[in-house]
Amino acid sequence: MSGYLAGIVSILGINVIFAYGIYVTAASGQLNLGGAGFQAIGAYGCAIMSSVYGFSVWTSILIAMAIGGAIGFVIAFPILRTRGVYMVLATFAFAEVVAGIIINSEFLGGAVGLPLSDYVEVNAIIAATLLVILFVFYLMSTRVGLAMRAVHDDESVADLMGVNNRAIQVMSFALGGALAGLSGALYALYFGFVEVQYFNALLSIFVLLYVLIGGTQTAWGPLFGASFFTLVPEALRIGEDWRFFIFGVLIVAMMIFRPEGIVTRDALDRLWLRLAPGTRHG
Amino acid sequence: MAEPILQLEAVSKNFGGVVVLENVSFNVAKGSRHALIGPNGAGKTTLFNLISGVFPIDAGSIRLEGKNLEGTPSRRRIGLGMARSFQNIRLMPHLSVVENVMLGQHSNAGLSELLKPIGWLPRSRERLAALATLEAFGLDAHQGQVVGNLPYGVRKKIEVVRALVSSPRLLLLDEPAAGLNPIETAALRDFLIEVADSGVTLLVVEHDMPFVNSLCQHITVLNFGRLIYDGPAAGARRDKAVLEAYLGRRHAEDTTDAA
Amino acid sequence: MLLVQQVLNGLLLGGIYVGVAVAFTLTIGILNFLNFTIPVLFMLAGMVGWSLSVYGLPFGLSDPLGWAPSLAIGILCAIGASLLVERFTYRYFKAKHGDATEHAIPLVSSLGFLLIFEYLVLIAHGSDSQAFRTPFADLNWRVAGLIISIPQVISLAVSLGIVAGLSLLLTRSRIGRALRATAENPDAATLMGVEVNRIVPVVFVLTGLLCGLAGALFAVNYGEVSPYMGDNVGTKAIAGMVIGGLGSVWGAIAGGLIVGLTETLSIHFFGATSVQISVWGLLLVLLLLRPQGLFGHNAIGKGKF
Repeated sequence: MSGYLAGIVSILGINVIFAYGIYVTAASGQLNLGGAGFQAIGAYGCAIMSSVYGFSVWTSILIAMAIGGAIGFVIAFPILRTRGVYMVLATFAFAEVVAGIIINSEFLGGAVGLPLSDYVEVNAIIAATLLVILFVFYLMSTRVGLAMRAVHDDESVADLMGVNNRAIQVMSFALGGALAGLSGALYALYFGFVEVQYFNALLSIFVLLYVLIGGTQTAWGPLFGASFFTLVPEALRIGEDWRFFIFGVLIVAMMIFRPEGIVTRDALDRLWLRLAPGTRHG
Repeated sequence: MAEPILQLEAVSKNFGGVVVLENVSFNVAKGSRHALIGPNGAGKTTLFNLISGVFPIDAGSIRLEGKNLEGTPSRRRIGLGMARSFQNIRLMPHLSVVENVMLGQHSNAGLSELLKPIGWLPRSRERLAALATLEAFGLDAHQGQVVGNLPYGVRKKIEVVRALVSSPRLLLLDEPAAGLNPIETAALRDFLIEVADSGVTLLVVEHDMPFVNSLCQHITVLNFGRLIYDGPAAGARRDKAVLEAYLGRRHAEDTTDAA
Repeated sequence: MLLVQQVLNGLLLGGIYVGVAVAFTLTIGILNFLNFTIPVLFMLAGMVGWSLSVYGLPFGLSDPLGWAPSLAIGILCAIGASLLVERFTYRYFKAKHGDATEHAIPLVSSLGFLLIFEYLVLIAHGSDSQAFRTPFADLNWRVAGLIISIPQVISLAVSLGIVAGLSLLLTRSRIGRALRATAENPDAATLMGVEVNRIVPVVFVLTGLLCGLAGALFAVNYGEVSPYMGDNVGTKAIAGMVIGGLGSVWGAIAGGLIVGLTETLSIHFFGATSVQISVWGLLLVLLLLRPQGLFGHNAIGKGKF
């Protein structure tokens, strides 16, 4: 694999895992505009474990995931007290506070950043990405996944059906934190350096867009959204500024023509019917 | 009177000072087909919401099979053997028909079943049970379709199916016949009689009086949040208060509806 | 004395946030829409104004314009851009099933417009900060050892004046009553004869006007504009709006001033990098303890998103 291709594949894998971290909360009806904060926690957690405490690569990654998951779990309780726009703003504020703490902490390298001595190969990122994709598809096929989608569609009826909304939502936040943490750890190890400026509000916005534009109804949505918005700009070999301009136009157009995301249940059903008539059952 | 499955005693509820239900007491006998009727705004749906635990009651008590429901969170009540449908269809629009029905079994699923990939197993026990109930309703043709796109009558029936798959002993139905054509209504009545004969108690809110009269043996009438009649269905037709409050107007409406 | 100076600076800085915070609070209060284009509308007024004052009208139609007409046209551009946003985001927003994430559609769309406008300006003028020259950039009052920037005082007065006017408009005029009826309940407003579809553009015109003015005042005050000038002000204004309470105009004013104060005091006591923690930490704590903000109405923004 050429260096250029390896670079794109690595970014793609990191973005896909990150998008799934936001997706598991969105799938149960919670919008998380603090993605960058969770990814930063994973990246810095991994950098500290690896560089300061000298843990091996995989131990560092696992600890980073655990930290992301634990913080997601803890922050879920206060954040779930808020609803609607307030939740979007609370998660946004959370990410800003995380970045603020990092900037002000000498231990975390402040505004300068932290170098890592260890690194991961692109193959490891590919393997992790495939595992995460498989895991999320599996999760969405279970009764827990069914309950998540039910909470997304109608919280009060899900409750009357016996679904423990609170447990589902807290679990989603914890899982989302762990997956975003994993993507951050891989990012740190792949680039060998973390700096807080990377984990800004725009990153949170982008990853939420990957998920919402891909579609939250099925686990295909974030995979499609993250891949599309990682690969298409690469394919369009034009200036950085024009890429983002076109990105903006695409977003506006998609919300007009496919407001529920590119990949919807309907679209998938029609696709299955065309590919293999009569085989799709539920 | 047979042993009661549901006992309401002096139930009251107000929203922001507006009294919606006042001192309502009645029993629903085990195995009966019981109707709850009343003009719009009488408090019927509110009563369903109190029984299923959407809102807490202000005063009085509700007992299911002798157990006081106070303090039982709404999500645990389905596990106690009661399920309900909704006045405005409240299916999950992005789930397929069979997934909606499988959601109805959620309360029966043990902890170990939570992580079983039911979406990947075409022959899982849950899916087969859901399909069997759908088939009994003649809905199996729709099983894989996303609910949001289906016609009203079909969604209405799916909601009843979803309530049934939790194997309730008490089934609360909020206007199950609304929006159905006469043939569908007759089929629904026959099906509900069958359901009741299998041992499920029915408590039905309904405006369609012919449907109520042909389905239910017992009628409770509410008007402005108060109970004005509780007794055999035949008696309601002769009760003066009921006629004044409700049936007189309904009859007039029924004749205009039919015209 | 230094502390008093800081408090003063904080209030004057807050004056800039106020206009933008009020714009946010109007769209949320009336349309339940978190409009992320607001920071770029602010930026557009400043950058268009700068461009006109340096290059004149496009295609060589005129010589460089004076600072006042430049900024006026900049404000008009912000209003125009705001109407464009209305045409392509809010008007297409039809919730089919009303589930949890569908209501994010206009929000996502406005994020798209954020990118469009910001990168159009970047393509046209690059990412550098530009000096914006006005004749009175260095006018100061010196009162009892305090340095008071006159343009800043005027800005604060203009901001407060406009918001007071807006407040009057909302409570006294027919359009204001229609706006408030729409905010309470769009369906009921329609029944009462309010043409909601014609009211919505009014909100966007006001949004463009408020942001444009704030952007113009920023350019005059700080003598500097950049394509990124909206990012910081926009996020601080969001914080101000939330602190004041979503949908409350006077809350947005108080919130904007509180954020300005918090910012300068935090810099004074803990250094420049502490701002992010103090402002956003304050916001996070307030959101969790008192989600309706200081003056907010409990119901706004709670609906499923």
